[in-house]
Amino acid sequence: MNKLKEMMMEQKSKLVLLIILAILSGLAIIGQGYLFVIIVDRIFLKGYSFTEIMPIAVGLLAVLLTRTLFNFLSGRTGIKMASTVKGKLRKTLLNKFSNNPLQASLEGQSGQKVSIMMDTVDEIDSYFSSYIPQVIQSSIIPIMLLAVIFMEHWTTGVIILITAPFIPIFMMIIGFNTKDKSEEQLDKMAAFSGTFLDTLQGLTTLKLFGRSEQQKEKIKKSSLDFRDATMEVLKVAFSNSLALEFISMLSIGLVALEVAIRMIIFQDVTFFTGFLMLILAPEFYTKLKDLGSAFHTGRTSMGAAKKLEDELAEMGQTIEWGEEELPHQEAPVIELNHAGFSYGSDTFSLKDINLMIQPYEQVAIIGKTGSGKSTLLNMIAGLVALTEGELKINGKLRPQLSEKSWFDNLSYISQDPYLFSGTIADNIAIGSKERTSREEIINAAKKAGIATLIDSLEKGYDTPIGEAGRGLSGGEKQRIAIARAFLTRPSIILFDEPTTGLDLQTEQILQTSIKELGKHSTIITVAHRLHTIKNADKILLLDDGKLIAKGPHADLLKTSETYRNMVNVQQGGAAL
Amino acid sequence: MKGLRSVILVLLKEKKDIVLSIICGFIAGITAIGLFSSSGYLISQAALVPPIYTLMVLVAVVKMLGIISALSRYGERYYSHRGTFTMLSNLRVSFYEKLEPLAPTIFGKYRSGDLLSRIVGDVETLQNYFLRVFYPPIVIVLVFLVTIFFTAFFSVEAAVIIFIGLLLTTFIVPALFGLRQRKVDQKVRERRGQLSTDVTEFLYGFRDLKIYQQVNNKEKDLLQSSNNYLEEQERESIHQLFSESVNTFVSLFISVTVLAVGAYLVTVGELDGIFLAMLVMVSLTVFENTTAMAAYPSHLQDSRQAAVRLDTVVNDEEYQQAQNNVETIKQGIAPSIEFQHVNFSFPGETRHTLKDISFRLPAGTKTAIVGPSGSGKSTIMQLLLKMYDINDGDIHYNHQSTSRLSQESIWGNSNVVLQYNHFFYGTIKENLELAKDGLSNVEMENVLRKVQLDHLTLDAQVLEKGENLSGGEKQRLAIARAMLRKAPFWLLDEPTSSVDALTESQLYESLFNIAKEDTMILISHRLTGLEKMDQIIVIEQGLIVESGTYEELMNGKGYFYQMKEIEQSVFMGQ
Repeated sequence: MNKLKEMMMEQKSKLVLLIILAILSGLAIIGQGYLFVIIVDRIFLKGYSFTEIMPIAVGLLAVLLTRTLFNFLSGRTGIKMASTVKGKLRKTLLNKFSNNPLQASLEGQSGQKVSIMMDTVDEIDSYFSSYIPQVIQSSIIPIMLLAVIFMEHWTTGVIILITAPFIPIFMMIIGFNTKDKSEEQLDKMAAFSGTFLDTLQGLTTLKLFGRSEQQKEKIKKSSLDFRDATMEVLKVAFSNSLALEFISMLSIGLVALEVAIRMIIFQDVTFFTGFLMLILAPEFYTKLKDLGSAFHTGRTSMGAAKKLEDELAEMGQTIEWGEEELPHQEAPVIELNHAGFSYGSDTFSLKDINLMIQPYEQVAIIGKTGSGKSTLLNMIAGLVALTEGELKINGKLRPQLSEKSWFDNLSYISQDPYLFSGTIADNIAIGSKERTSREEIINAAKKAGIATLIDSLEKGYDTPIGEAGRGLSGGEKQRIAIARAFLTRPSIILFDEPTTGLDLQTEQILQTSIKELGKHSTIITVAHRLHTIKNADKILLLDDGKLIAKGPHADLLKTSETYRNMVNVQQGGAAL
Repeated sequence: MKGLRSVILVLLKEKKDIVLSIICGFIAGITAIGLFSSSGYLISQAALVPPIYTLMVLVAVVKMLGIISALSRYGERYYSHRGTFTMLSNLRVSFYEKLEPLAPTIFGKYRSGDLLSRIVGDVETLQNYFLRVFYPPIVIVLVFLVTIFFTAFFSVEAAVIIFIGLLLTTFIVPALFGLRQRKVDQKVRERRGQLSTDVTEFLYGFRDLKIYQQVNNKEKDLLQSSNNYLEEQERESIHQLFSESVNTFVSLFISVTVLAVGAYLVTVGELDGIFLAMLVMVSLTVFENTTAMAAYPSHLQDSRQAAVRLDTVVNDEEYQQAQNNVETIKQGIAPSIEFQHVNFSFPGETRHTLKDISFRLPAGTKTAIVGPSGSGKSTIMQLLLKMYDINDGDIHYNHQSTSRLSQESIWGNSNVVLQYNHFFYGTIKENLELAKDGLSNVEMENVLRKVQLDHLTLDAQVLEKGENLSGGEKQRLAIARAMLRKAPFWLLDEPTSSVDALTESQLYESLFNIAKEDTMILISHRLTGLEKMDQIIVIEQGLIVESGTYEELMNGKGYFYQMKEIEQSVFMGQ
């Protein structure tokens, strides 16, 4: 809410413009009232001829035209303000999402974040496009009207003065209520988006388990919940306007009654004054009522603003970076001292890791599933911030390095590489910074052993591949990711189970490729395969978040029983 | 109304709310006009100093009309919104209902971020259909007709002018602006879809973007789409505001005309001056409702496009499968399987993924299908599950052709573990409960132990897509889910590719124990642990290269033997 005010104050010149337009509108409304009454009065009672009132009618038209024009300009200014603000908000959110470490993007449903970025930001719109212009109009025009009413017939002014304050009071009572409710409604909206996306993505699984019917019920339920929440908000809004309607109706009735009695019994009020009161009083209440409905939309926007503020306040640990450059294409020394990372207080953690990786070493990280191999890789990659200990690159603390120079030297092939919507060529080229020629892309694809497959496709390298690489098998996705690495020629390569799901023949192609990459790079692999492990210069054996053994294959066979067991099983029980 | 047919059908389910909205809307409109015209008349009467009781009656009428008007306005709003939101809920469900049979084929074509923006955004857009498109014109026309009828008693001329005003403000001006609005609107929706897709991609692909330092580029793209969206949104709003302003001015112009004509009629003595104020008030009030009509075409257009987009997703003929699947297979009995000269290529691809595949699996046997990635192993499984229709040949379950079997009956009899299994946001327990109804905690905990996931509690949280679980954990959880299901036909597609070797061999042992009597197909690229299989089918580039038991294949020294050799030699460190 403060955020909204802050953003409003940033656009002072537009605010001033809105105020000027409001004053001009007020003048037009008053002029319009006078002219209407003058015409009726002169025709009805004063017996003027038609030609005599013609100029007044033309004047009336001119006034009406300016009134519509001022309204249009005021609305337009509001719309412009809203655009500026929404643009800024999206930018801030995006900044926040992109500066956040990896972990943050995994928490919560991405669907909810999409909803915040799209719907919640759009909800801010009405605050600037209707609430603010309306507030300005409603605080200026009624005062101008009241002044005219007092000048013409002060008792009407008194009646209005007594009844009018009920309107803001009612609005406040109802409005506060609406604010909580509208936040609730936004939550439901986000939850609804999340459930739906999750369901869509899991539709195959649901169908295989014969559960799609139940999921339909779930969608129906969350959808009806959404309706009920929305109706709650709306009911409040409707009774809000009902109350305002009653108040203004009652007041206008009082005004009319008082005027009529004065005209008939005391005969000290003319038809001119009476009719003018009858035209101006509704304008007065309409402006206040408009404020009421704007107040409601404003409240909804404030609910949205609160949600945005919460989202922005939810800062994870950011990963710090410095200015130090790494030597280009020269593998560094990597050192972890008492390093650790934990996802949260009660969940999994990696503790007290000490190791040193020399340039161009081939390192294999092994261990049972869940022992922390991927986490160790993420730690080394600088994708998560250490919660204890330190990571040194060439003797310098990792946070002192420049982010660009670090990632320029690093390639990471994850278990589940994300393929972006675009062509195969685009997806391979995402790994390189400069414009890449088709030739280089084809070359990289060949080295990654995927060129034959791509050639067999009708559109070859221009085949579009969808979100999350649908249409490509797991092995194919990984080979695309490996082709990316071939383009960048990094000095450190991190492989997270690189051969998962690949057959032996492809694996052999990869072995050759990786070996080639290894000539110029340090390679750290999370490995399940013994051949990768045996060829490693150093094996890191993890168990339950701890590094229980390190050294080359031959050493570990002698020193570690766990390792001996693993090797045995991998070889199908064959004796060593 | 082309394109909106399906929406209207859903809408008409809420008849009661529709009728109530129209009735309340009409009463609210007509009483408001009554209120202002009677107060105009009241003040004119007062000027002529009438008897006090005339005045009292008029005041009472004014009050009563005011109260009725306010109450029925409330009713109109309440019923119309309730109807709208129930309709929206029905729409979502009906969209899901239509989408569901098309999965999983349809996911190749639409990105789920786009689908999300469609369903949420387009369905939201359709809320305006009832509120601003369907019933308001009915109410406005009704109110106008009654008003014109009433006015004609006093002045036919005024009635005619009001009628012209109705035509102008309700039909002509909106239609003129509507033509241009179309283009603008379409762009807004397109840009919104683009932005939503960009945002989704940014969040889901964040890790890879970060590593490849594409975060900044993607951010720029995203900001660009955000700006494009804003620009169009702004253009749309201003355009709409402008057409509203024009419509307002036209209606005010009509009121001034009514005043001028009325004034003329009074001066020539054809109209009693006492009605002049009343006529002006009638005209001013009746046109208050038409301002909203300026937005009509854009709402109509919005609704139509949203409806069409929703329809195109689910009515894509390419994905409509012929459904002559009346037969079911016997549940709870291990099936025998037979492939007869099966040919298959994916829709839209010329290359045959499978060529002349024939094999027989007797009930209760265990078969491994091995071969390089991309050889068509997983496709065999997809065909067995009837996810696609085959081009030639036939697949039989217990001598029943799959072409006549319902997908559901096949799935109901199978324990399937896919290469990538979806896990829902929720708890481990909720994800396991998908398997079957009525599972006890003890059963689930036992199975978790069997797949060595006992470090996870049933209440442990699972993030979206199981992001907080490692690849191996996800696979083991999927196996656990299949074990709980206890169907007699197992289809396992590389179920342990991310599991380390030690755990893998233990998992296989548990699986074989549980599936002793069942038919099982195991798709694998690894060649260890296949000694116990009854049959091994080796497939390469969509063709069966050889098949037989482990021993037969090893003794035959063919393709399998060579693959095994490579595997051995790699493992032995050459």
